Amino acid sequence: MKEKCLCGAIRRVGAFFLRRIGVLLLGGLLLAGSGPGLYAQALRVITGHVMDANGDPLPGASVILKGTTTGTVTDAKGAFKLSIPDTGHDTLVVSFVGYESVTVPVGLDNVYDVRLPLANRRLNEVIVTSLGFKVKKDESATTSSTVSSEEIVHSGEPLVLNALGARASNVYVARTNGDPGAGTNIRIRGANTITGSGAPLVILDGVPISNSTIYGGGNGGRDGGVSQQTRINDINPEDIESVEILKGAAAAALWGSRAANGVLVITTKNGKAGRLHINYQMTYSMDQVNQRYPIQNTYGQGRNGVYNPKSAESWGDYIPDRAGGEDDVDMTGRYFEAYGSGKKYYPILTKNSKETYVDSNWDDVFRTGGFLQHELSLSGGSQKTQYFFSFGRLDQNGIIRESYYDRTNARINVKFVPNSWFSSNTKAGYISSSSNRIQQSSNVAGVMLGLLRTPPDFDNHDYFGIYYDDNGVAYRNHHRGYRRYLGDGVPTYNNPMWTIHQQKSTSDVDRFLMMQEINIKPISQLRITLRGGVDRFGDHRIYFFPINSAGRDRRNGLLNEDMITEQELNFDAIVRGNFSLTDNLKVDATVGWNINDRQRQYNSGSVQGFTVDSRKPTTDLNSSAEATSFSNYYRDIRSNRGYYSFTFNILDQLFVTASGGLEAASSINGAFFYPAFDAAWQFSDLGLTSDFFSFGKLRASWGKVGVQPLPYRFQTLVDAGFTYSTYSDPLSVNQFGGGFRLDNNLGNPDLKPEMKTEWEIGADLRFFQDALSLSATYYSNRIDDLLINVGLTPSSGYETIYANAASMKNHGFEMEADYAVVDHHALKVNLTGIFAANRNEVTDLSGVESISLAPGSVDSRAMVGYPLGVLVGTGSLRDENGNFILDDHGFPQLTPTPVVLGDPNPRWTGSLGADATWKGFAFRILFAHSHGGAYSPRTLWVLRRFGTVEETAHRVTLDQDLYNFRGDLVPAGTTVRGNIEDFGGGPVLLDESWYRTGIGGGFGDNQAYNFAIYKATWTRLREITLSYTLDSKNFRARTRLSALTFSVSGRNLFLWDNIPGVDPEINQSGVNNGFGLDYFTNPSTRSILFSFTLSY
Amino acid sequence: MKIVTTMKKMKYFLLMMVVAATTLVSCESLVDGLNDNPNKLTPEDVGAELFLTGAQLANIVTQNGHLNRIAGMYSGQLVGYTSLYSNIYGYNLSTVESNSTWRAIYVGVVPQVREIRRKAPDDKLLVGIAKVLEAHAIGTAASLFGNIPYSEVADPEIPDPKFDDQIEVFNSLLDLLDEAIVDLNDGVSRNLSEDIYYGGDKDKWIQAAYTLKARYYLQLKQYDQAYQAARDGIGSDDASMKFYPRGDETTSGDKNLFYTVLAGSRGGDIGNHGSYLMSMICPDTSWSRNNAKTNENARYWYYEIHEEGGPVNKGIIGMFEPMPMVTFAENQLILAECAARTVNFATALGHLNDLRAWLNSGAFLNDAFADSSYLYEAYNAADFASGGIENPDGVDPLQALLREIIEERYVSGFGTYMPFNDVRRLRKSDSDLIVPFPLNPGGTDQPQRLPYAFTEINANSNISEDPGLYEVTPVNR
Repeated sequence: MKEKCLCGAIRRVGAFFLRRIGVLLLGGLLLAGSGPGLYAQALRVITGHVMDANGDPLPGASVILKGTTTGTVTDAKGAFKLSIPDTGHDTLVVSFVGYESVTVPVGLDNVYDVRLPLANRRLNEVIVTSLGFKVKKDESATTSSTVSSEEIVHSGEPLVLNALGARASNVYVARTNGDPGAGTNIRIRGANTITGSGAPLVILDGVPISNSTIYGGGNGGRDGGVSQQTRINDINPEDIESVEILKGAAAAALWGSRAANGVLVITTKNGKAGRLHINYQMTYSMDQVNQRYPIQNTYGQGRNGVYNPKSAESWGDYIPDRAGGEDDVDMTGRYFEAYGSGKKYYPILTKNSKETYVDSNWDDVFRTGGFLQHELSLSGGSQKTQYFFSFGRLDQNGIIRESYYDRTNARINVKFVPNSWFSSNTKAGYISSSSNRIQQSSNVAGVMLGLLRTPPDFDNHDYFGIYYDDNGVAYRNHHRGYRRYLGDGVPTYNNPMWTIHQQKSTSDVDRFLMMQEINIKPISQLRITLRGGVDRFGDHRIYFFPINSAGRDRRNGLLNEDMITEQELNFDAIVRGNFSLTDNLKVDATVGWNINDRQRQYNSGSVQGFTVDSRKPTTDLNSSAEATSFSNYYRDIRSNRGYYSFTFNILDQLFVTASGGLEAASSINGAFFYPAFDAAWQFSDLGLTSDFFSFGKLRASWGKVGVQPLPYRFQTLVDAGFTYSTYSDPLSVNQFGGGFRLDNNLGNPDLKPEMKTEWEIGADLRFFQDALSLSATYYSNRIDDLLINVGLTPSSGYETIYANAASMKNHGFEMEADYAVVDHHALKVNLTGIFAANRNEVTDLSGVESISLAPGSVDSRAMVGYPLGVLVGTGSLRDENGNFILDDHGFPQLTPTPVVLGDPNPRWTGSLGADATWKGFAFRILFAHSHGGAYSPRTLWVLRRFGTVEETAHRVTLDQDLYNFRGDLVPAGTTVRGNIEDFGGGPVLLDESWYRTGIGGGFGDNQAYNFAIYKATWTRLREITLSYTLDSKNFRARTRLSALTFSVSGRNLFLWDNIPGVDPEINQSGVNNGFGLDYFTNPSTRSILFSFTLSY
Repeated sequence: MKIVTTMKKMKYFLLMMVVAATTLVSCESLVDGLNDNPNKLTPEDVGAELFLTGAQLANIVTQNGHLNRIAGMYSGQLVGYTSLYSNIYGYNLSTVESNSTWRAIYVGVVPQVREIRRKAPDDKLLVGIAKVLEAHAIGTAASLFGNIPYSEVADPEIPDPKFDDQIEVFNSLLDLLDEAIVDLNDGVSRNLSEDIYYGGDKDKWIQAAYTLKARYYLQLKQYDQAYQAARDGIGSDDASMKFYPRGDETTSGDKNLFYTVLAGSRGGDIGNHGSYLMSMICPDTSWSRNNAKTNENARYWYYEIHEEGGPVNKGIIGMFEPMPMVTFAENQLILAECAARTVNFATALGHLNDLRAWLNSGAFLNDAFADSSYLYEAYNAADFASGGIENPDGVDPLQALLREIIEERYVSGFGTYMPFNDVRRLRKSDSDLIVPFPLNPGGTDQPQRLPYAFTEINANSNISEDPGLYEVTPVNR
């Protein structure tokens, strides 16, 4: 039945199409869409040129006879020729994107040269919808933020997502750390899912593409391993024309179950008809660590004030009290001989040396990183063919030695318009990147863990060499670190030099993206778009840990290899039409159908325990079957959707849209409908405009969007490789020949999408002849049917079920302002400001107490009644007034169970920017601010236990007897290492018994983590740029170039925050719904960039 | 003219509306069937016997895991020194401690063995084994917890199974064991590597089924039926059901469970130094059970647990030492006790002496203790006569014999639930037979059961709270 209807429709559409061709052939014209008057009246031919204010031709400008469909576009020289009926009182409307339209009365002359002034800045602003079509911003009722090509390029970020930071309200963008190519967290209007991905859907040129951040089998989880890449960052920022951030449900509803996190609509550049334009840009960046943990250099390795070269901590002797000179060593037996320096290390008998190595150890790890980027693009074309070719190459060295990220991009965008009723648009990109990434975070092979725990009096430099035992037997390739200073065994964790120079974690990505679109215009009111997309990438990762790397699994050598491939195929058939039902009622209608298929596959293999001590990552390192393992994973998610959108334009003043999509997806039982309504009212059309008030629009919308369930959760399947343990006594079925069990997770064939319902109201206002524009929106949403694992009654035979069982809500406010303060001939000054606040609350978890999003001793969780991501851990007992309940000596006491310690969500975020141009100079500055929220730098906390962090190295002479945490009374007059603190019961002494052995620093649940929570508020100078462009007539005439631009800019140059040593934007658990945590995560960067651009 | 134009425009508009309507008949057929997981196998893909090993492992942790250690602490056999085990030793036992064992029983054993039966109804060997395993795991649950869910369990259609009376559960299990015996008799032994208990030997399974029947009749105090069942029960030590650890010294997840607990971060938490059991078999205490015919020296050293953990443990919790579940000793002692109660003194003594003869062969020891001295000479009637070595207080000789049998159950039963079951079984009418181990410090009463799992209480609408450690279960009322 359905097919029949569709076929009927297609047949009819086809009939129009054929009839049209007949007309065209008969008329012998290639120009269609001419008005009926064409043949009826006497004609005259007028010609002319359309130019910009400088007199440069504007190719592709439209010239239309007012009130008719008669019109043409200008050619490459800006010339036009038009036959019009000779009425004697007609008017031409000349318009071009980015310029103000001009009306020209047609008099007796037959030649008209028209100069178009640059558009009054906002009148013709367009936004790109989720289907990739441009609509006038002033007629849109949904909230979106546009980030332009210039803003992206000027940000100097080689990764496109990072360029969006602080550009749009309520769009939280944070790279997970400063590693080159590191993944980026992006969250629009707070959290919209608990267990699903919080990343927005990315539409590139109308086609959804992969934006996954895959950790994979070899990485060993999110909280350790290396930072992984976020796939959208493959896109070359230079190729981007604009990024539209669709935040609200209504704007995104056509993408149904993939749109709850918002949609990023990215459009790549197209060529313009006209001469060949060549653009070459070279950028050189210098990157440095932007925050450094303060490490003490006054106390040596050891405990209890006594030096001990085997101690894990730096609670040893006071270094200035040492004798000085060479250490006394035992040269009779074993020793370590370093490669390179040849220096020999013997067992230390007495530590005499006062030398410390805090800075040299740091410099062995960090360098001034940076990148060199070349971008070449060619564009141009004729009326019929427009092209854009680009080629980009990025070579980036990370701030951590040996880390790098290299990327090559190529893109071809070709638009072919053979006639007025057919056009083809082809956009294809290829990306190849390779990188080496450094192990980090909670990981004995992590670089920061080894570096920051190193005692100040230990030199990490000679990390690699030969160990000779007491009998003189040599052991080659041994690993020396501060916990094995003779290199006699594998240190508990890596010397950071080993992490950098001996281990490898490479990733090689090849990606191909293509979009092919065909537009057919069978009649003037209808446009049919057929659009197909392919996105395919492979990511080949190698993790190599040579023999003698730290860690139980790695000490005998470990090689992991992951091969990840993803493919997304997409097809849309869209019919659009615009109809004037009456003079005052016009309809824009869109009807479409979409099918989308996403496949992912990974194969992981590993070899554990090498028989050969080599640095080649080959499986020949151990060819025995027991040493090798292999696993695979495959998934396929498909959806198809019918959708429509009808926008009613009433009196050119009120715009009402009703849209919706009905979608079926493979991981969802049944089809779901995603409706949306919105309305925009240009109330300024009521005659309210004046010199002061130039435009006003009120808008309101309501819509539903979703998040798809994980695939493959319908059935109850069988489980292999399981373990039973009652209390620290595991039995693993794999050790007993393998076996299966019915999965303890009950299949759920009734899975629905997570459903977000959102309404919003807002206003867009402009003042002072559009110089000042303000946009404000209030939204409120409810997300129901959130998917979580719910506990079942175990005696039913099943423990959990993945079910639609939770709910959450958000509401918030966002505002964007833009003010052209000065626009006076050569000088233009523009200010921008954004402000946003979001409040989130988890409202129901179906009895599940909490869900861990980023597990750890301080844990980011979902808990009913709290915002998503609250930080939870053991804290200090307090009375009802919030005062500490102290022990007999005045110290806080631990809570018996974990408590909520803080909320990492900011209270509000904002940014302030300015740009100014004067003659050839341009200056831009952008500050970003995040206010409130909590952050837990557990690195700092653990370093207190290790005694390496500066705050533990104060010396204080007591002026009264004070208790320490152990309960010892330390007499007045004693000079001790520690701090004096008052928890409410009078001053107490915080010394080693508090920081190292007590509850004031360390691991596990027995810590007062309330003291490990800091205010996350920060302000940063996100960007500052000064550029000079040479494009004078003289210059152009002499060089035949159109412009030459030099610029210098800074990125993240200053950061004001409350946490010593860590940028609160970094996230230990990477791209994840849990956040607000750091644990020896690789640091973030600040950069200075130089670039020059040559345009022909 | 204008109207016509409008009509014409309307036509296209209406056409689009129609197209809109048709596209909205979205095609579920295009996405159907794609959600079948390609990465995991379905129950239909996997042979019935492949479910066996997992079920047996779940049963092992049920019989020899956390609750077994807790039962040991509540019957004078084990001592909790620090951390969690010291709390539990002081009778602070949370329902959370039962979660993992409850899970092993209700998720690890029952649904899995029923899947075996569903998939291979004609494979009588597998079906019989499956039934014995279910009877074993559920029987342990019933004896530990009292009333438990059983008649409605492992059915996804019943989200909250009801709790059945403990006695009814035992009766159901006795029926199930009878069925199992019929199945096993109809079945054929074969080399079944998935059967990590008996390797597919149906005769051993039949014996184990009879011993389990005897165990449950004993708990129901139906001593004559218990005796009858035990006569066909485990007749030799090589038919004892034990968990045999595997692997080599570098592998994990396959070792003696007690060894594993102490080898990890729990070293020092639990052991048996200072327990009543150890003092009974230590020659130096006044209440040592050594006498002219008995020398427990070797058993003492074999039983000794070095709570700090590690390879120093070479005895009963050695890395590779088998752990008992249903044993020859248990069967012999059921025979002995029930004969004493329902047959006659001589028969009972004969059964006891059979066990002593086996003990005297040294077969219960491993090689590390082969050189240690031991003696288990046969007793005679005179030993139990008033003033005899087993009757210094001059009680009725039959009573003296029963007392010795119960004591032997207490000692031989180390590592199983037998001592904890006996103290509760004998509480009401045979309290004089109970081995007089003292309560642990801080204790006021002997625990009568272990708590239901928190996860079950939390989720099952048929229960609101646990009745507590001291509620006497129906069989012992």
